Amino acid sequence: MTQASLLKATAVATRTGPSVASSMISENNSKPGEQTESQTDLQLVRKVRNGDRAAFDLLVVKYQSRVASIISRYVYDSQEVMDLAQETFIKAYRAIDRFRGDSAFYTWLYRIAVNTAKNYLEARGRRPQGSADSAEAENFDDGRRLRDVASPESLLQKDQLQKALSEAISGLPEELRSAFLLREYDGLSYEDIARILECPIGTVRSRIFRARDAVDRYISPLLNHSVT
Amino acid sequence: MDERLRETLSAMMDDEADELSVRRLLSHGNQDEIRAQWQRWQQVRDLMHESHFAPYSIDVAGAVREAIDGQAVPADSRRKARAVATSYWHWPVAAMVALALVVGFGAGAGWESQPGDVTDILAAAGIDEGGAAELTSAVEEVAWQRLDEDQLRQMRQYLLEHAQHNSVGAGGGSMGYARMVSANGGY
Repeated sequence: MTQASLLKATAVATRTGPSVASSMISENNSKPGEQTESQTDLQLVRKVRNGDRAAFDLLVVKYQSRVASIISRYVYDSQEVMDLAQETFIKAYRAIDRFRGDSAFYTWLYRIAVNTAKNYLEARGRRPQGSADSAEAENFDDGRRLRDVASPESLLQKDQLQKALSEAISGLPEELRSAFLLREYDGLSYEDIARILECPIGTVRSRIFRARDAVDRYISPLLNHSVT
Repeated sequence: MDERLRETLSAMMDDEADELSVRRLLSHGNQDEIRAQWQRWQQVRDLMHESHFAPYSIDVAGAVREAIDGQAVPADSRRKARAVATSYWHWPVAAMVALALVVGFGAGAGWESQPGDVTDILAAAGIDEGGAAELTSAVEEVAWQRLDEDQLRQMRQYLLEHAQHNSVGAGGGSMGYARMVSANGGY
């Protein structure tokens, strides 16, 4: 793929989302949203095992939406979803020494979340629906159930956020946008992006950071990011 | 949080941060700031990958932190607790060994054992009066058994080997071994 066609692909991605851009790029790497072995997760897990609570906070923040999404397949009340998500993370923290790293951290967390939700339902005499197959963690469309339980207001907010996101990405300088989209939509490593964009890895790292920062500043006023 | 740390955090989002950078980030003084930044970027990513985006606000991080701080024991603390528990048992074990030696050697030398003294030692080790009486009678029973010549030789040989191992292998110094050799004389 030439650089010109790549830039065209990323420009298309800006307008249409990831699917078209992905089809235009031959490499089949995992995307950031998919569940693969994460080096960062393993680094954080090691820190948690050494008693670093801040590392566990980052894992919670990273996965709380996805854990809530899994639980919402079984439990439909939003407050119950929150409580069970919390319970899932507490269980994970207590059992972190038993995580051997055979599977991705998220897959392990997924199993805990499903079991927590099922146990909750069984304790209340409600028959759990769905399966706890951990392979589902790889392909699970978390958003579907949450969309079902979302209020019209929250769906409207989401639409506004999507619109703002598109504007933010469109407004990025070309070199920042290319690097950012290759990473976010196509899951390429910094090394691959550097090769494609013909620039040093450090430059890719810096461009992605600056793109991320610019997008964050643009849509931050719309996000509910109360960190307690 | 300076520019470099924020860039490290961004690299962490992409699994491209090295161990040292992660360590530096986690040791930063203002973890609230780091967490807030991390959360916003995660939300942007979730929004970009629509299927992960939660349409209603989900933030259990604070509640999880409070629950863990209030209840759970981190791995390091568990290890420390185990260490404390182990050292807690050192005193009773040491006291029992000392008691056995005192009673045993005393019996060999024809001393009269004083149960009251023994009870005091055990009480100091945290064993109550009933337990102390039971333990004392058991130890006395063993100590008063006479050893024949072969058993005595075996016992001395065992102690000698133990002292030798302790001085050479376990780094306990050679003084114990020297004393044992000296005390054993012809053995």
